[in-house]
Amino acid sequence: MTGAPMQGWSSPAPAPAPAAGGTRGRATTNRGAPLSRRFLLGASLGAAVWTARAAAAAPLRVGSKLDIESALLGQMMVLTLAARGVPTADRLRLGTTRIVRAALLAGEIDLYPEYTGNGAFFFRRDSDPVWKNPLAGYQRVRDLDRPNGIVWLRPADATNAWAIAVRGSVAAANGLATMADFARWVGQGGTVRLAASAEFVQSPAALPAFETTYGFKLRDEQLLVLAGGETSAMLRAAAEGISSINAAMAYTTDGAIDALSLVVMQDAEAAQIAFEPAPVIRVEALAQYPDVPAILAAVFGSLDVGVLRALNEKIQVEGQSVAQVAQDYLAAKGLAG
Amino acid sequence: MQALLLAVAVTGATSLGFVGHAKNRLLSGAPVGFGGAAEMSGAVAPVLLVAASGLVLAVVPVLRRPASYWLVPPAAGGVIAGLSWIAGRCADAFAASSPAMARTSLGAGYWLVVACALLAVADAAGRLRLRALPALLAGAVAVLPLAVLIAAGATDQLSIMREYVGQRAAFLAALLRHAELVVSAIIPAALIGIPLGIAAHRRERTARIVFPALNIVQTIPSLALFGLLLAPLSRLAEAVPTLGRIGIGGVGPAPAVIALVLYALLPIVRNTAAGLASVPAGVREAARAMGMSRRQALWQVEAPLALPLVLAGVRIAAVQAVGLASVAALIGAGGLGAIMFQGLFADALDLVLLGAVPVVLLAIVVDGLMKALAAASQPAPA
Repeated sequence: MTGAPMQGWSSPAPAPAPAAGGTRGRATTNRGAPLSRRFLLGASLGAAVWTARAAAAAPLRVGSKLDIESALLGQMMVLTLAARGVPTADRLRLGTTRIVRAALLAGEIDLYPEYTGNGAFFFRRDSDPVWKNPLAGYQRVRDLDRPNGIVWLRPADATNAWAIAVRGSVAAANGLATMADFARWVGQGGTVRLAASAEFVQSPAALPAFETTYGFKLRDEQLLVLAGGETSAMLRAAAEGISSINAAMAYTTDGAIDALSLVVMQDAEAAQIAFEPAPVIRVEALAQYPDVPAILAAVFGSLDVGVLRALNEKIQVEGQSVAQVAQDYLAAKGLAG
Repeated sequence: MQALLLAVAVTGATSLGFVGHAKNRLLSGAPVGFGGAAEMSGAVAPVLLVAASGLVLAVVPVLRRPASYWLVPPAAGGVIAGLSWIAGRCADAFAASSPAMARTSLGAGYWLVVACALLAVADAAGRLRLRALPALLAGAVAVLPLAVLIAAGATDQLSIMREYVGQRAAFLAALLRHAELVVSAIIPAALIGIPLGIAAHRRERTARIVFPALNIVQTIPSLALFGLLLAPLSRLAEAVPTLGRIGIGGVGPAPAVIALVLYALLPIVRNTAAGLASVPAGVREAARAMGMSRRQALWQVEAPLALPLVLAGVRIAAVQAVGLASVAALIGAGGLGAIMFQGLFADALDLVLLGAVPVVLLAIVVDGLMKALAAASQPAPA
């Protein structure tokens, strides 16, 4: 729209001959050089700062996944360790489960919070019933990961399991409180439409486990499958009836459930894998800092489902920062100043 | 163009929600129209400001005098500031009467009018034939009044500003890291890409290898590229501890910068080769006939003539890198993407905007600055 007339309009100078263009060009190159040299100088200064930072006594590199609860647990680990004099380096919100796990195995980080039940997927054993028992699942993943040089520390007694959450008004109208109620409702032709991730729908440990345990079957048109396991959009869709969705997959410690007036169907028969958060640490790092298990046990031992959900709610619903919520909680528990 | 923008803006302002009010940051807000918001704001000054500035924007195209377009940037600034002021006062009114968790967010109507105002400035800059730097300044004039309002706290109760308060410590660091990622990717990309483009121009065989390879790189999703880089970079850092100590490893900024460099290469290499190819054969022959060596002909004749296209390539690569650097947050490299993803994970739309809006502004500024650089490197156009 502007290109051609623009040049025609502002052309008081005569056309430069090629030779003139040449000198002009050389001047440009000369003018360009100090600029890029300055940039390079800046870059090498930056590198020097990095070097200085990294050279100080190998700190414990604490990572976490991107989601709120992982970031919160990671932040708590950083703050508690720092309060007890263990030097740490913040690598929080590093990436997805795959990337964080790969970073730990590659020795890029030393420590991060992971869920015991994810052992089912790391070791491709998600149809094994052992994961449904929190203690047995923890022991199994601890044993399976030992050859990798990874140590699973004591998990929190807070199962963040997969669940189905139903819009409050729908649950009240149909008397839904447990998965057995939900199965009855579906069986009687209830107008359910569930938003869930592909993993939730397909993994034998998730929706299929609910279906076989409680004896119901959702048809394809009753499901809206979304990519990725991030439930916030699904929960909102269920709460607001977007695309006539009235139920969504949820994690039991999700802080948004109450704020969105959703009701979690109780899994009374333990159909689901138990996901308990636990610190996982590289064995070399543990040898260097042997006090870490005791320090972190105090934090993880203080958590349960209610506490985690309340903390998540402060972040998700009230919009407080993860650092602030972690700091306040640890201060209240006397675990870190 | 101006009349069309005005029509779209007026239609949008009257038919779409101007602000939304929700019980908490997770729920979608109940829309409040422009009229309702203006009434709630309880002040006449901002409404008059919007009306007067809107009138100026409506009159400018009717005047049929090019110079009158100088009025567009300040008038657009008046519209943007006035609307933000109304929205801010409306949010204040809601905040006074609702629980602390309630949120007032900017609605589709607001964003549409602001977008129209900015497009009107761009259109005016085109009509006034402004070069890159003055055009950027015209844009600055349009957002300056809003910046003053924000600094004065007039918008503090709007949801996006409340997200900013929660992120204050992280925001500046994220912005700087974002810029750092882009700069540390574009400089090596130019240092590699321009010679590669020269080589591709000079030798057909090089071109036949380089272009397909870069095209393939361009089609690899960024997340997959991070995954591919993780293992080899970790092993490299392990084998050469010095590299590990300067922060090069499988996660963090190193894989992000490498991925950004790879993506930036295609536009730079392609434009360098195209720029050299655009030099008329006669010019090249004349240079050789004057007794210049091949090297002299390249640096003194061909390079200056190819420079605009080369710089355009660098500009495209830089703007692209500003956007792509958002994804770097997925591998622990930080940047504004970290704020965006935090918002996506919490389904807090205003937190997403807090990350996304600066990325857009950064892209506009980088584009303008690179255009200005290109203009400065050129003799006055023929």
